[in-house]
Amino acid sequence: MPVFNDGKQDIYYELYGAAGTPVVSLVNGLSMRTSHWAPYFDLLPKLGCRVLTYDLLGQGQSSKPVLGVSFEEHAVHLAALHEHLGIEKPYVMGISFGGVVVLKYASLFPERIGGLLPVSTFSELDEQLRCHAHNLYKAITRVGFEFYLELLMPLNFTNRFLAGNRALTEVIKRVGVNSNELYGIQNLMESLAHFESMTGELGDIHCPTLIMNAEYDALTPRHLHDLLRRKIENSRLVLVPHMAHAFTLEVPDLTARLIAMFVEQVESGQWRGDQTVWQVDDDFQAEPLLHPCQGNHLRFLPPLAAS
Amino acid sequence: MAGDSREIRTHAKQYFASHRFGPDEQTRICLFLQGVKGINATILAKVEFQPFEWLPYKFLHNQCFKEVELSTLLGKSTVWSTNPFVYLDATNLNLSLWQETDAGSYLQGFLQLDRSFYEYLALSQAFMADIRFLPLLPVDMPLDTPFLQTLKEVEEENGRQMQTQMRLLKDLDVGLEQAEKEQIIEKQHKAVNGLFERLLSEITAMEA
Repeated sequence: MPVFNDGKQDIYYELYGAAGTPVVSLVNGLSMRTSHWAPYFDLLPKLGCRVLTYDLLGQGQSSKPVLGVSFEEHAVHLAALHEHLGIEKPYVMGISFGGVVVLKYASLFPERIGGLLPVSTFSELDEQLRCHAHNLYKAITRVGFEFYLELLMPLNFTNRFLAGNRALTEVIKRVGVNSNELYGIQNLMESLAHFESMTGELGDIHCPTLIMNAEYDALTPRHLHDLLRRKIENSRLVLVPHMAHAFTLEVPDLTARLIAMFVEQVESGQWRGDQTVWQVDDDFQAEPLLHPCQGNHLRFLPPLAAS
Repeated sequence: MAGDSREIRTHAKQYFASHRFGPDEQTRICLFLQGVKGINATILAKVEFQPFEWLPYKFLHNQCFKEVELSTLLGKSTVWSTNPFVYLDATNLNLSLWQETDAGSYLQGFLQLDRSFYEYLALSQAFMADIRFLPLLPVDMPLDTPFLQTLKEVEEENGRQMQTQMRLLKDLDVGLEQAEKEQIIEKQHKAVNGLFERLLSEITAMEA
């Protein structure tokens, strides 16, 4: 089992793909494990990338410090893991909670990043997200881990996915309960309760940055991603139609393609971080896949036709 | 987690996937859990000597009664073994439970905000966090027997009860540095994991 010990904590990781190709580091969201990225272990190497993922401290097979871990410590551990593996300029992608970790990483280690991919995430809590975080924390501490997972299901997945995977969702819950230590997840939740805005640090991020947000992400809504776009000068925002918060789990083929396109653009010098907004074609196989977003990208409703 | 620990847990998963939860297994698990809950309930009973204003009082007050409630529920739902050697093993393990956790030392004197109290909190947090049977069962195994339902209830309740320990371990000022706190917590988890793994080894050794 590949484990890196930084002298104090064990970090479980997995690394796939050919040495010498650009490395994409995938950072988990809350109650995720490395196995959630399994489709990417095949997809990204086929698209010319090496893929590294690991269990955040407090989750999966990594150590679970009882007294908690800060976002900054998570970023420092990721940097130590990169150093241990001899990875110099990784493309660092994080979803949700992991998105905050990678924002912190980019801010703290500007010389040790090739590109940044914050996905379904935030640099500050708006009131709705604060309410969600409070509810999830109460669910985990007052009711139990199973209820916490039940609350997350409709936030994470689309109606179509839930309807088509009713039996699977029961298994997902049971596996989730079995493979997580409640106090580890609780600690991660508590770091959200004490979360201090890091929007002020976004101006320190200068690396190529591809921000991704699903059309129907009710947990981390559009305006939080737009804030990232406006504050990170070398960025673009990509909107993924029809999807919900955890679209990386629901459409891994599309997500892997978007990641690989970004890596290829940066590696070939074609990347333009112009703070524009793009949307994925409704047909995920389409070529070209991305189109400039028309109209007000902060709205769900299309503009009214002129009378 | 050390290699030996992983091996014991992997072996336990294989065992529970291919064996039914019979009277011998149930008896070993029940007596161990009752031993743990007995330690907690006995120490927590001292909380009632504290004034209402004592900060940890309101957090720990109900834990004592919860532990007694779950212990009796376990006893009621267990299909008891008729094998005397199972009880001999269980008695030996429970003796080690008291010795290796040094639980007796927390029975002396009144509770106060000191290192000993912090050690006890860390021990009880480890009991509730580390002793988990459900993750060792196949995810498609129905939890539809009285014993398995009770195990689920115990582990869910442990999750809720543990909040108190977590809060106090993080926030309580007992004059300890962070590094000392971490050492205490690590030591208690190591002791509890060792005992839990011994139980698992004894259960899986039954197939030999």
